[in-house]
Amino acid sequence: MKRIIKILIAVAMFIFMNISCNDDFLKTKPLSFFAPENVYLDKEGFETALVTVRKNLNQEEFYEALNHLDMDIHGSEMGVRQTAGDWRTLTPSGSHQGVTILPIFTRIYGYIKNTNVVISRIDDITWDDQQDRNEILAEALFYRSYWYYRLVHSFGDVPFIGYEVDKAKLDFNTHSKFAILKKIQSDLEFAAEWLPAIRLKDRPSKYAALHLLSKVYLINLEFNKAIDATTEVINGPYALMHERFGKWRNDQFRNYIWDLHWPENKASQENTETILITFDRADAPENAKTSGTNTMRSHNVNWHGQLVRDSKGKRGTIDFNPDGTRTQMQDTLGRGNPNITPSPYGTFDIWNEGGYGAFTTPDLRRANCNWIDYHLGELKYNNPASVDYGKPFNINYFARISDSLTTTFPFPIYKTWYPHEEGYNGNINGGNGDRYVYRLAETYLIRAEAYYWNNQLDLAANDINVVRERANAVPVTPSDVTLDYIFDERARELFLEEMRHTELVRASLIMAQLNRNGYNYENFAEKNWWYDRVTSHSNFYKEGEIRGLIFYVEPHNVFWPIDITVITTNTLGIINQNIGYDGDENNIPPLETIEVE
Amino acid sequence: MKKRETILTGYKFPLLKKIMKIMKLTTFLLLTTTMLVSASVYSQSTRLTLKFTDITYWELFHEIEKQSEFRFAFSRSKLDPSAKIQINAMDETLEQILNKALPIGIAYEIIDRYVVILNASEKIMLPESQRMQLQQQQTVSGKVTDSNNQPLPGVTIVVKGTTQGTVSNDQGEFSLINIPDNAELVFSFVGMQTQNIFVGTKTIINITMQQDIIGLEEVVAVGYGTVKRSDLTGSVSRISSERIRDMSLTQMTETLSGTVAGLYSQQATSASGGGSLEIRGPSSLSAHTDPLVVIDGVIYYGSIRDINPNDVESIDILKDASSSAIYGSKAASGVIIITTKTGQIGKPTINFSAKLGVSSTTNDLKPYGMDNPKEYFNAHRDYQRQRNPDQPDYYYFHPDDLPESIGLDEWMNYSANPADDPIDEWANRLVLWPIEYENYKLGKTTDFYNIVIRPDLRQDYSLSVGGAREDMQYYWSIGYLDNKGIIKGDQFSAIRSRINFDLNVTEWLTVGTNTHFSSRDESVIQANMSHLASMSPYGSMWNEDGSLRRYPNDYTLIRNPLENYYGADRLRNINSLFSSLHAQLELPFGISYRISFQPRIQTLKDYVFYSSETHTGRVTYVGGRGERQDQSEFEWMLDNLIKWNKEIGKHNFDLTLLASAEQQKSWQSDQNNVNFSPNEKLSYHGLQFGTNPGISNYDSESTGDALMARLNYTYKGKYLFTGSIRRDGYSAFGQKNPHATFPAIAIAWKMDEESFYNISWMNHLKLRLSWGINGNRDIGPYSALARLGSIESYSLSGYGIGVYSTTLANSYLAWEETEAFNIGFDLGMINNRIDITVDAYKGTTRNLLLNRQLPRITGFSSITSNLGKLGNKGIEATINSFNVDDKNFDWRTSLVFSLNRNKIEELWGDFGNYKLLGEDRYGELPDFENEWFPGYARDIIWNYKVTGIWQLDEMEQAANYGMKPGDFKSVDVNEDGEYTQLEDKKFIGYTAPRYRLGLKNDFSFLQNFSASIFIRADIGHLRSMSILTPEMSTFGIRNAWGIPYWSPEHPTNDFPRLVWPSTLSQYGGGITAYKPTGFVRVQDVSVSYDLPSAAAQKIQVNSIRVSAIIRNLFTFTNYPGFDPESGMDPMPKTFTLGIDLTL
Repeated sequence: MKRIIKILIAVAMFIFMNISCNDDFLKTKPLSFFAPENVYLDKEGFETALVTVRKNLNQEEFYEALNHLDMDIHGSEMGVRQTAGDWRTLTPSGSHQGVTILPIFTRIYGYIKNTNVVISRIDDITWDDQQDRNEILAEALFYRSYWYYRLVHSFGDVPFIGYEVDKAKLDFNTHSKFAILKKIQSDLEFAAEWLPAIRLKDRPSKYAALHLLSKVYLINLEFNKAIDATTEVINGPYALMHERFGKWRNDQFRNYIWDLHWPENKASQENTETILITFDRADAPENAKTSGTNTMRSHNVNWHGQLVRDSKGKRGTIDFNPDGTRTQMQDTLGRGNPNITPSPYGTFDIWNEGGYGAFTTPDLRRANCNWIDYHLGELKYNNPASVDYGKPFNINYFARISDSLTTTFPFPIYKTWYPHEEGYNGNINGGNGDRYVYRLAETYLIRAEAYYWNNQLDLAANDINVVRERANAVPVTPSDVTLDYIFDERARELFLEEMRHTELVRASLIMAQLNRNGYNYENFAEKNWWYDRVTSHSNFYKEGEIRGLIFYVEPHNVFWPIDITVITTNTLGIINQNIGYDGDENNIPPLETIEVE
Repeated sequence: MKKRETILTGYKFPLLKKIMKIMKLTTFLLLTTTMLVSASVYSQSTRLTLKFTDITYWELFHEIEKQSEFRFAFSRSKLDPSAKIQINAMDETLEQILNKALPIGIAYEIIDRYVVILNASEKIMLPESQRMQLQQQQTVSGKVTDSNNQPLPGVTIVVKGTTQGTVSNDQGEFSLINIPDNAELVFSFVGMQTQNIFVGTKTIINITMQQDIIGLEEVVAVGYGTVKRSDLTGSVSRISSERIRDMSLTQMTETLSGTVAGLYSQQATSASGGGSLEIRGPSSLSAHTDPLVVIDGVIYYGSIRDINPNDVESIDILKDASSSAIYGSKAASGVIIITTKTGQIGKPTINFSAKLGVSSTTNDLKPYGMDNPKEYFNAHRDYQRQRNPDQPDYYYFHPDDLPESIGLDEWMNYSANPADDPIDEWANRLVLWPIEYENYKLGKTTDFYNIVIRPDLRQDYSLSVGGAREDMQYYWSIGYLDNKGIIKGDQFSAIRSRINFDLNVTEWLTVGTNTHFSSRDESVIQANMSHLASMSPYGSMWNEDGSLRRYPNDYTLIRNPLENYYGADRLRNINSLFSSLHAQLELPFGISYRISFQPRIQTLKDYVFYSSETHTGRVTYVGGRGERQDQSEFEWMLDNLIKWNKEIGKHNFDLTLLASAEQQKSWQSDQNNVNFSPNEKLSYHGLQFGTNPGISNYDSESTGDALMARLNYTYKGKYLFTGSIRRDGYSAFGQKNPHATFPAIAIAWKMDEESFYNISWMNHLKLRLSWGINGNRDIGPYSALARLGSIESYSLSGYGIGVYSTTLANSYLAWEETEAFNIGFDLGMINNRIDITVDAYKGTTRNLLLNRQLPRITGFSSITSNLGKLGNKGIEATINSFNVDDKNFDWRTSLVFSLNRNKIEELWGDFGNYKLLGEDRYGELPDFENEWFPGYARDIIWNYKVTGIWQLDEMEQAANYGMKPGDFKSVDVNEDGEYTQLEDKKFIGYTAPRYRLGLKNDFSFLQNFSASIFIRADIGHLRSMSILTPEMSTFGIRNAWGIPYWSPEHPTNDFPRLVWPSTLSQYGGGITAYKPTGFVRVQDVSVSYDLPSAAAQKIQVNSIRVSAIIRNLFTFTNYPGFDPESGMDPMPKTFTLGIDLTL
């Protein structure tokens, strides 16, 4: 009997054991995260993917320290990252000190990945309304085109990935930049067709697509199409701002150019100039906003450093009061480092026109109220312990005169002032706020450039003067319109807005394709307009060495190196390195056509 | 005459019933003793030859008793014992003989070895009491002594084949009643050779125990069972409780650093103790390689921190594939089996131990000027000279330090607008912060280092009660430990309790539990070491009003290292309960069935509040920031074990079958909030009063199952075979490959048991050979799935959530498999005074779970895949010797040696042309990003070979490289005047020790004293030192770790100059500085004294032991950082006093 009981107990236990071993027992059960299969099932799923796609434009492109915009300035005649002025140290495996150029390449591909998820899966579901499908697809194509436009101008020939990578893939090959530009031209034409004309200002509209498309037409030498596209924008629901508006409208010290650039005014309904902005507000939930523009850290002078001395050789300025609170000077000027030092080209040279100088020009974009100038005595000793308290800085007292590189240059506070949220307790580096991606002034300058390439200099001058007149600048005559002049005007109008290096390279490529001014595409890495302009306009490269810092650039730096790890991990294909960098000897001719997606 | 034999079974005999009850008393006993020897076996197997004419029954029975173990008794028998008979039996059984010899009407019954002669009619009716009487005849007593004739208390004496037994008292005396008089007594004691004595007719047995040097009798845990060391087929090492007793431990893993051949453990530095663990080299490139932990026979996924080292009886380490293969998918990195203490037969034992210790550092690396503040300014002076070579050379010198050739006026006029006072001018030039200037003038300095890093206290108290009765066995303990780390704010405290309990419900059913509970407090808010490094000795720790100075140097990027220590509030508390609930059934035919269920519950709270007086990240939250993380885990595992043990003639079978299932679930909730109103006083207790709350959840679930079979087979006790196979399933792997099978085989040959073996000086020799495959599943529960991450967005249309892909799916993901061979021998020499175990192994891991690097243009940096092959091979040796064995002096030595060599045999499987070491090569492509090179060790260092520092007379050569004197000088392999990584980087060494040695000496002297010293050496490896290649841009206005930098006045060849901008960028691909980090360390020293038992008894205790223990007493190394084992973290040196009291 006992034996039977024991066997029964044993059997019962075995049964208990076996219950837990049914078929589903080993199934993976994800709990706190979504998988593609349970998200991209309907319009809402695609909309959530687009949320990420839109936010990608904010992230490193326009916000945070050493963002892409800053790197594009570093790669131009307008300024330099002091520690990285010797471009020989920029290598594919690079330790180019203090710059973030290499990661831009892979970051942008990360953003492209997000657009491709939408593009590849768009027809995986059945759409009730084709308009919905096309609008969502159009927006994804717009952003993908935006990123490829940036890539080919920064990194030249690159692989075109037009689909969602859903498994390990190691056989990428490089496409010709022109193949990619043709592809994004047609993608943007689709986007311009399907995107609504009127949208929220932080979402791309039909006109944003046309604006970008017009630049692509330019590089593709379709100048008439560029003129048509820009004309459509100019004739659209936009107008340049000539009136005071927004928060400061009654402040008589300021002007409407100040208003135009006040962060909150960019999204304002009153602002008829905005085509596309990035939206970023301090009152957003903590994880929904960026860490800020960092403009006041990156582009304002280092007025607070130990080097700023008074006539007794003592520290003349303080960023914090003895009680640990910020000085007022820090609140208004920020705690400049600066990450990017502007060149006198942008702060002085371009304002010398029509007989005026930087301090006398009627141009509102260089108006005294919009800039902070050491030379006008606007930087004052604020250390109460200093004998010179309240007096203007005197560079002759400084610990090292050569430190004027960081302490005494003029800067456009109307573009760098991004106040921090109320009660913010950290260092003032430049807080959250909206930034322009595209505004109508640039559209005029693109059309002007298209007319220029078409040799219609009268029309070009007209468009430039629309922008100049608004700024109260002396009009230009058609005979003075050159490519250099157009880019000077872009510098005056679009500093800290445009991707400067990208636009310079675009113009250089057009020049080379057209074989103008002795440039050609075959020896682009040895001779190009970008190099000639940067070395002739930036004093850094002209002087070569300042305070032991080397400034040196070569023609092949027109394109930036491709991160070696991208090339080495792509073991089954060949991704080309840009000419002039280590590893370029392994290049093979780039693909000239883009195959199936 | 009818043959009437009763086969004894446990159910019929009350005495045996009782014995059966006593069984299970201790796991130890249960597992060491063989099962009941059935009487029938003896009577059937004993054969007698008797040839007598004219002999009485008396004489016949007496003769049989002489020839065998049979004893005769008469029960009212009508047999006439004096009647004469004749008998002629040749090699016959007793039954055959008695059947021939006894007359009609007389019957017999054989009960065990007792033969009862009775009348045939009484046969069935023999009363139970009489049967019992037969076996209650004897009482045995005696005294146990050691070889020095000293009484030996605590020796376990067991009647073989039962669990009836006792323990010798303080005088070494014991007595056992009611034992069968043919009993065999087994005397065992830790560290002594077990002795078996047949009682026979003896009533007094005095015995001298001999030291067991080899530990052949030691019982070793091998997973789902135990085996005598002498019967091992695999490679298993053990650490006994003796060894653990003489250490001051926070976590049990601290015993393992350097002490076991083939187990590599680095000491950890924090107050929570512990150390890394790796068995026989890294068996994976990216999955975890921590060994599996098994506690009291069941797999344990909890934290080792939850186990009180005072509860640990022994630790066994399964190293070879065959030993660990029974754990299949979890065992590729070896298995550590922890056995906790159990109650021993005898009266309850109460043990109390207390340890009190102080920790300081093994070595100090201070920021400049902490000991001599002037050095701080000297370092800044030398930095500025390097940074501004255009200034006159003495520009940055203190006016008092100027050479005679330079007048003060001349020096002052180096500046365009010199200050009035030379000291002011000097301070301006060196850019002193106001506070530095002020304190310099006052002559006030602060030694921040000694405020942050200073000796602190450790305490450990433990109380346990253990004992065993016939039907139960118990052990209960509670311990409290409180450690303060050497870095201020580092702390660890724990309350840990354990209950081990077994109850014999019936003679065939045992139930019990091994349960531990732990509550850990890990509320660490440790001082910030990088800010400590930046502290100026002329900064101030405190403001004048007594509050903490947030920026001690005035520099707002350099914060007070104790800012969070004083300003933040943290609660990190982990409560866990792990239980093994088991039941064991004895089934017929020698089969036992054990079911055990192991739930584990853990809750974690980690609450932090950063007040507005602190930073988190680089931000100060004005209204404070609070974070709460709550996590709970529930796991269970169900094991079904069937064991069968059978000896058939010369064949012994031991079969184990397992079916197991498990599930792990975890739930985590994170909350945070900022900007609290009306104030921050509620700390993390009131996050709802903030204005910007955030929540997130991370839950996970995984499941596994397993089937396993193992057979141990022994032929003639000298040929040993173990074969096992296990099939495992795990939910984390791709759904196309959830299962895998892991086989293993091992054989061993005890050569010394062979008749032809006659090597007299080598009294023990065993050869072992094993092969097996193990797996590694440790990659996280969702590695095979594609995941979407989420981002928050705030746009003109409002708040929204966006998704994006973060990982690629791999539905074919499978186990990582390690196949390993082991060959070894165990050798005992010179009367077993020297014992040598040597093993050689080769392991190959295939299907490595690798995060395969993808071209990042895919938007993904990697995908988890099965690729590549990694090999480990090595040699291990353990030598134990008993050097001196004298009454007053006893000395043992134990030496362990191991070396491991690993090699990446295959990687991604992509072939092509590549460049390495300046050569164009064709072959499998290396992974330059991870610095993995097929054909080379995983830990090989590929970097520039630094040969020294460019000196002043090498200025021109240095300039060729764009460098200056004081910079690193390295081999330019192709001598092209440029440092290019693919051309000039070389393989310069390894990061893992090439050889590891441990030497332990144990002494006991003057009868009551014992001492031990353990010396450990890890030799031949390098360690990177990032402080030698720093980003120094702000050095001129802060402090740094005080390395003896190069300067024209101090032209060292070991350290570079202080400079910025760095010329390191001349090294293509970057340079990392490595320094030799081999070391010899006196790791453990202990001295202890046992109060003589007579004295102890006077104060009514059983024993008292006091000890002094020192960890990391001396370290010999050339490594310039804090410690060769921990790099840039200070390593504690701990002095501990302990007392151990048994009642």
